[in-house]
Amino acid sequence: MSHGLASRAGRISAQIGIVVAIFLFWEVAVQTGMANARVLPPPSLVLPRAVAMLGDPVVLYNLWITSAQVLLAFVLVAPIGIAIGLLLGESDYFGRAFKPFFFFLASVPKSVFLPVFILAFGIGFTQKVAFGMFQAIFVLVISAIAAAESVSSDFLKTARAYGASRRQLYLDIYLPAMLPVIVEGLRLGMIFNITGVLFAEMYVSRAGLGHLVSTWGMSFQMVNLFAGILLAAALSIAVNEALRWYENKVGAWRG
Amino acid sequence: MAGLKMVRTDSVAASAGADLRAENITHMFDTDDGALLALKDVSFTVEAGTFVGLVGPSGCGKSSLLLMMAGLLLPTDGRIAVRGETVSGPLPEDIGVVFQESSLLPWKTARENVEFPLYLRGVDRQVREKAALKMLDLVGLGEFTERRPHELSGGMKQRVAIARGFCQDPEILLMDEPFAALDEQTRMTLGDELLHIWDQNKKTVVFVTHSLTEAVFLCDKVLVMSARPGQILKEIDITLPRPRTYEMMATETFGQLRAEIWELIRETQAK
Repeated sequence: MSHGLASRAGRISAQIGIVVAIFLFWEVAVQTGMANARVLPPPSLVLPRAVAMLGDPVVLYNLWITSAQVLLAFVLVAPIGIAIGLLLGESDYFGRAFKPFFFFLASVPKSVFLPVFILAFGIGFTQKVAFGMFQAIFVLVISAIAAAESVSSDFLKTARAYGASRRQLYLDIYLPAMLPVIVEGLRLGMIFNITGVLFAEMYVSRAGLGHLVSTWGMSFQMVNLFAGILLAAALSIAVNEALRWYENKVGAWRG
Repeated sequence: MAGLKMVRTDSVAASAGADLRAENITHMFDTDDGALLALKDVSFTVEAGTFVGLVGPSGCGKSSLLLMMAGLLLPTDGRIAVRGETVSGPLPEDIGVVFQESSLLPWKTARENVEFPLYLRGVDRQVREKAALKMLDLVGLGEFTERRPHELSGGMKQRVAIARGFCQDPEILLMDEPFAALDEQTRMTLGDELLHIWDQNKKTVVFVTHSLTEAVFLCDKVLVMSARPGQILKEIDITLPRPRTYEMMATETFGQLRAEIWELIRETQAK
């Protein structure tokens, strides 16, 4: 056990070391003139600015807009995507008829549809939510299909032989068997969702983190731009890791 | 031989198990190439408290028969009867099933897996916990009750599956090639332990297996099935006394019985 702890501590300190090294390299590259400070501002300016932004009402307002869009899109698309996926995974008929469409469409870059969403929904909140949902739904459906197909017929046979009711089959077999795969799909869906919302904001919008970042970039406010990028990265990483933690918790039995 | 018969009759008389009959079972499967006759007029009786083996070539329908006895598959024609009553669905209180180790629920601990049949029936937590721990102790897993299947070896997992089958104290125990995934040494040990458990409570057992040695070693009677469409070729009484010991495997009787079964299977396969 102590060996495991020691190697874990070692691994984490190595990982922190790499992050610190990247920032140090960045700083040194700018200070020595290797990189143009006008294009790439040093972290000694960017990091304090990112922290300061968290106290800036304008940034916070835009951050709130983006978070609200992302969350609403997620809450709406998750049940729809999972329900479609389970239906396609469980039903022979619907599966055979409609699964190919999802696999084909999943490979199409969703960004080319953005102009259509602007025409249909305008450039406001609704359009961002709709586009975030559109980005996320394919990976959700495909994960839910995989989840439904991952339920071993041995488990079902056993539970039925022991007299499980339909309700017990769903709650005690399907749900725990599928949960880790579903949560994995939710995590991937969230990444696509955030990408979609930010991308739509950067393309054309009146508010949101993507709007700010895009404006800062076009007006050459490089310190703000990089601070904004750091915030967007931190937001996505936090959401992703939270879902990954849950995924590992409900999937610990996968060994 | 009269002496041997007496021993067997005594053990049957002391039993609590229920009898099970297959009556004129015929079964067809729908396939893409049309209907397939899987079982043809299969009849047999498993007397209460006896240990009966079901052997036959691959694809002869023995696993389908077991599913029918478990109430998970309805025959196209004929019926399965427990104590004379037709089985039309699972009878979890009367019939326990032991499948291969892959049937353990991987997200549940050994104890929770053993408790599962009782849990489904809404048995009180403390009661089912006590019953599960007792069974796990009996199969030698007293120290591994809180492990999940992926932390157990193949033999240990199969012990959990056996404990689960016995835990709810059914009258009849159906075992579907329970040791097929195990190496020979583990399978011999488990077979021995299974007999030991069975000796204590004398359930009615139907044991589907590929292993002829296992069938002769464990059973009172072995039903030999033909290649598809599956029929009962012969019922062979295993005249070895109980309790069974490893030394019996070296006896002439054991060899003759095993050879007789093998001869039947070899012939039906050749056809």
